[in-house]
Formats: sequence, structure tokens, C-alpha cells
Amino acid sequence: MTGYSPKLEKIISAGIDIGTSTTKLVISEFSLTNVAGSTHVPRIEIVDKQILYKSPIFSTPLKDHVTIDVAAVVSIVKAEYDKAGIVPAQIETGAVIITGETATKDNAREMIDYLSDEAGEFLVATAGPDLEGIIAAKGSGAYEYSGDNDNVIANIDIGGGTANIAVYKAKELIGTCTLHIGGRLLEFERGKVSSISPPIQKLLAAHNRQLHIGDDAQSPTVDFVLGFMADYLNAILTRKADNNEAALLLGHLPNWQEDIDVISFSGGISECMYQHESHQYAQASYNDIGIQLAKALQTNQDLQQFTWIEPIETVRATVLGAGTQTTEISGATIQVSPSDLPMKNVPVYNFSFEQDFQTGTDSLEKKIAEAIDMFDAYHEGQNFALYISELPHMSFRAVQKLADDIRQMMERRPNPDLPIVLILQTDHARVLGQTLMAMNVRQSVICIDQINVEHGDYIDIGRMLESGVVPVVVKTLTFHSS
Amino acid sequence: MNEQLVEQITKMVIEKLQTTKTTSTSQIKNNDEMPVKLFQNAPTGNLVVEKETANTGTDVKFVPIVSDKKQPEIKSVTKKTATEELTKSRAKKEEVLEGLRKQTPARIVVGRAGTRAKTDTWLKFRFDHAAAVDAVYGEVPSELLERLGFIQLHSKVVDKEEYIRRPDLGRRLSDQSIATIKEKCKRSATVQIVASNGLSAKAIEENMEDVYLSFEQSLKNAGIETGTTFYVENGRVALMDEIGEILQPDIVVILIGERPGLVSAESLSAYICYKPHLGTIEADRMVVSNIHKGGIPPVEAGAYLATVIQKILKYEASGVSLVKKEG
Repeated sequence: MTGYSPKLEKIISAGIDIGTSTTKLVISEFSLTNVAGSTHVPRIEIVDKQILYKSPIFSTPLKDHVTIDVAAVVSIVKAEYDKAGIVPAQIETGAVIITGETATKDNAREMIDYLSDEAGEFLVATAGPDLEGIIAAKGSGAYEYSGDNDNVIANIDIGGGTANIAVYKAKELIGTCTLHIGGRLLEFERGKVSSISPPIQKLLAAHNRQLHIGDDAQSPTVDFVLGFMADYLNAILTRKADNNEAALLLGHLPNWQEDIDVISFSGGISECMYQHESHQYAQASYNDIGIQLAKALQTNQDLQQFTWIEPIETVRATVLGAGTQTTEISGATIQVSPSDLPMKNVPVYNFSFEQDFQTGTDSLEKKIAEAIDMFDAYHEGQNFALYISELPHMSFRAVQKLADDIRQMMERRPNPDLPIVLILQTDHARVLGQTLMAMNVRQSVICIDQINVEHGDYIDIGRMLESGVVPVVVKTLTFHSS
Repeated sequence: MNEQLVEQITKMVIEKLQTTKTTSTSQIKNNDEMPVKLFQNAPTGNLVVEKETANTGTDVKFVPIVSDKKQPEIKSVTKKTATEELTKSRAKKEEVLEGLRKQTPARIVVGRAGTRAKTDTWLKFRFDHAAAVDAVYGEVPSELLERLGFIQLHSKVVDKEEYIRRPDLGRRLSDQSIATIKEKCKRSATVQIVASNGLSAKAIEENMEDVYLSFEQSLKNAGIETGTTFYVENGRVALMDEIGEILQPDIVVILIGERPGLVSAESLSAYICYKPHLGTIEADRMVVSNIHKGGIPPVEAGAYLATVIQKILKYEASGVSLVKKEG
């Protein structure tokens, strides 16, 4: 515990983004310190983030259209670590994110798990279109922007395969949406169409348009596709799209309730708009509709009704977000068993007390039974983290009752020997953990607090740092299904 | 505090006034139905608008004070959108103000009526001030102390007035109390816990049990031995020095009611010192303050205190000396 010392603790974080067309990496250093006054319970926060190294932008190595070249990705990562002068063992947090269409590749999941083991012990694997949008919005600066004024901002991260929209208001996520809009959806070779992705085929069929491999790249049908993409993006942003036009929709319709005032673009398409990178990237001709798509969006009349802001990062927004914005720090008064950390991929079950202890404890038993059924339907011994939110003011006797209930219910898990993992929203982890210890529970206990998670999230808990806190990465592991 | 509570209290006061003034039984009977309203929803008084009267015979002309002529529209063409804009911008403004209020328990952005605070703000202020005064002069229920098994002792102070005037007397135990601890308390324990009402009896009443039980549990988990806990009426922080001299524990922890403020009148502090003795300098004491429902949750504070104790034992120092040793 560094409760009374102002010293900084530094940890290294890595972010790796494997996208449909490009792969990149950043290494950064976080400074942690106690920001609470010396008479208070310490509160450890990340007070500074320094980017130590940014990799060049590599083309994502693919073996063929459906397989990622794992060996090639790993060798890129290792070479970049060497250049940055770090070894995997130094990396204490961070995320590997596999984005866009790449996430649908056959071996995406194995790839990401393999890499998170190879590239640093606590480098977590993430994927999922909503999360991509969120991470990109943080890397592009849109999230920060929303905190400075009361405009509603949508960050649209468009890469090779998908457009991931995340809408923020006052730093609060108010909605997400993912579309099949991206630079790689139509590819060319020597001025001729060489590849038409399934969503585009579907779109063309729905509108009775014809486009074939070998057609001229200047074909009016290509212009139709570009125009349609821009119009559809506008329809989505203004919430006027409906399911009938679903060819380009991936997942759900927009779920935000407020009108968007400002938009920002990040991702490869944004690079085509703003040219932040030096020539190496701008000159790279991708032989696809990327540059034309950027132009189509910029010239679309309807999209001009929004205020456009230039992002801080274009093509690197996601990797920056993954490297610097995914880690949260737990409360400083927690109870963890060091030998059980790091702990990865623990599904979260949310249980809200709704500010009433009695009703809470009454239904706790039923809910925990549900959680066991949900996460371990086949009784294989999959553990879960119980997230306890909305606790009312707790007396010591109430804590004892809660601990006792938890102890009894955790015994009923198919594999009761697994550690008891508890995440509390409010600052109660130390006392609950201590109470469980006092009851001599036979399992080891991981009890942390002041982390916000949602039902269905997955959580990775890192090793305890010198400051007595643990880094936590909250994520979702849903891969695209299309 | 909400307006309902203000109304309820006011109602009680008025009821009391009425029962002393009049013995009319019917009025007492009807008390339940008599609603007390502090804030009129509709304007009262003479609301008749004076009309211009054609007064014949004199040259004096009566002009209505209240003009019923409508204010000219600023933009009569866009009247609807203008009002809509106004409501929207007001709502947005209110949202921003609410955000500010949420940042602090202090009374900010409460509005005003002319040059003074609004009545409800004023009443809340009076209520909180009264609560603070009550906390100082209140008494700790001895039933609570008995339940926790605390021996009950006194400082050299005779009453609350003296307690406030003579801080020095609050730092020493009464002769009888010294005799009692010499007789009943364990000597040279690792941790000696002391409780005192200090300036807020309410702090003890609300938080002591939760902090103490949680603290005791965590010390036990860590295998740290505790002495015989006692309660000192009207004590001050430096009382720990004399206790250190008499019982010679490694660490004294005094859980004491903080001076009440207008945000909370029930905040508890834990002052901790390694081997306190008469002459201990203030820099060697440390404190975990703001323990109450709106601050550090009492149960968590208890568990945290044990971590602090472990650190003090490790470095054999507290306060500034501890920070220095930690490096």
C-alpha cells in the first residue's frame, strides 16, 4: 500500500489492432498514483499516459480470404517489441483487438488467444463490433470531446470491412451501431473489379443491380454502391433507417435516443480524408474503394448537416484506444489472493440490490442459481464473477449476512473449489473479503471494487500492483456472426 | 433533507405552540387533518387588477398598476420555435446545473430570491446547523457501549461547557478512570482501541459499531492482538498520549466524533499513533477521517484501518515518520 506516499508507479501497456486491412501496435506507459488526500482511503488512478512506441502500419497478413496468417502476425509483434526495446514480461496490461471483417475469419479466436499468451501474460483479447466502436471513439478523441461540451457526438470508425459507430454525450455512451461500410468491400485489380464482398452482393441483388468480377472499376454501379453507403450512413445517424434496408446493417439498428450534433471519422477511411500519416500510408494504394468512399462521404450533402470535427488519430484510433483506454484500476481496498491472478475471461453476472438489503438478500439465492445455470450449463466448472451493484448503506451485520449467503451459494457451484470472484460497485470489497476470510471459506477469494461492468461482459483481472490495486479490463468476446 | 421533512418538523412545532396557547379540544383533535403548507402554490392576497375608471368630475385619472397589455413578441413570426428553443435551452441549462450540484454535497447553485437565499435553502441550513449543535451536545446511548462491551470512562472534564472551554482537560483521564484502566485493561497489547464521543455523539451512535466490528475482524484475520477497548466520555485526540504512558501498547487507535459541519454531523475519525507518550508531536499522529454513510463506508473503513496498522507495525512508525521510512 502506498497510502501516504505521493510516489508514482509505472506500468507498461500494449495495444495491438488486427484489422481487415491493417495491423498496428502501440506501447505506452501509465503512471499510477494515490489521488486521495492523506486522511482518506487511498484512491489509485492513472494520472498520466505516455506513448512509448508506435509501430508502422502493416498490411494484415492473411493466408487466404478466410484465414489469418498467425505466424506472420506473431513475428510482426515480436519484431516491433524488439524495436520498442521491451520484452513481453514487462507488459502488465493492454489489449489485443481483432476488428472489422477480420473477426469473422476462420481462425480469429485461436489467433487472438494465442497472441494474448505470446505477447504478454496479461494482454487481453477482445473482439466485438460494439467494443470496437467504443475503443475507436476513445482513441479518436471523440470521447474526450463529449466531456467538454454538451453536444452529442458520433464517432464513425471505418476500416476495411465495417463502420463502427459509437455515440457519446458527456462522456457517457448512449448508443452503438455497426454497418457493412468499409474500403475493402469492393476490391480492384488493374482497373477491374476483382472482389465483391457478400454484403455488397446482397445490396446489389436487393436493388436489381449487376456487378461482376472483371467489370470496369469506373462502372456506374460502383458509384451507386458508394452513394448508397453515404446515404445509408446518414439514415442511420438520423435514426431514419429501418430493417428493410438491412443489407448493410450488422446487428442492431441505432439504439441511441438523442439527436446527433457532431460527427468525427476515424479508421482507414478517415486517413484518406485527413492524411495524418506520412507518405508511407497515404501512398499505399489499396486497390479498393477506400479513397472513393472517403470522397463520397465528404461530398454527401445530407452528412453536411452535422458539424464535422477532425479526429486526433485517424487510422490509429483503435490501436491507441486498445493500448491506452481499456485498462481500469480497481479500488485500493480490496481482498485478492495473489496466486490466482491474473485471471482471464471470467463472465460477469450482475446482481443489483436496488438499494434495498432485504429484497436483495431475498432474491440473491435464486439469482446465483441462475448464474450457475447460465455460465455452467454443462457443469464443466466454468467460473463466473458476481457483480454486486446498488448496495444500500451496509452495517457490519449486513455484510456478515451477505458474506454468509455468498459462502453458502458458492458451495453449490458444480465445481465449488473454484475461487470466489466478487466485484462490488461500491467501496466494500475489503470488508466483504475480510468477512469471508473470517468465516474460513475454503476457496480463495478475489473481491475487488469500484469497477463498472455490465451483465454479460467478460472481465480480466491482472496481477496486484505495488499500489495494492489490480488492473482490470472489461470486454466482450462476441465475434461477428455474418 | 427534503421539503416534506421541513414541513413535518414545522408542523410539529406549530402543533406544540397551539397546544400551549389554546386548550380547545376540537383543534387538537383536528390536528391530523390540519395540513401545514410552507410554500403557497398559488398567489394569495388581493389579486384584483385595478381597471382604468372613467372618473367624471375630476382631472385625476386612475391608471391600472398591472398592465394587461401583452408584452410585444420579440419575434412574432417564429413565436413557437422561439419558445421551444427557450424551453430547450432552459432544460439544457438545468441539466448542466444539476451536473454541478452532483459534484459536491455543498450548497451550490441553489438559486436566490432577491438578495437572500430561498426559504427552503434557508430552512435546510437551519436544520443542518441544528443537527450539528445537537451532535455536540448529544449523548452516546450507553446501551450501544454496553452491547460492544466497552468499559465507560471519563476525561478530567466535568461537563460539555468545560469540554469546549478547556481542551487540555479533555486530553487527560480522570483519576478514577486511570485507576480503572490500571486495574482492568490489558497492558502492552499490540493495538489499543479507544472510543470517544469527541465533538459528535451522533458519529459514535451511527458508525461506531460498524467500524469497530469490521476493524476487530480484520485485526483478528491478520493475527494482531488487541487490548481491552474502552470508551472515554468527553475525550480529545491527544488523550492517546496518556493512555500510551499507562498501558504501553504499540499502537493506540482512537475512534472519535469529528467536529460537525453542515454537510455531515455524524462523521467519525480514527487517529492512529505508534507508541504515543506524553510529548508526542502532532506530526507522528495519522488520521483516517470522513467515516460516515456519505464518506468512507464505516464497514470498509474498519477493514482499511487494519491495513494501516499492518503498515505501521512493519515500519514501526506513524505519521510523517512513516512516510519518511517508506521512502
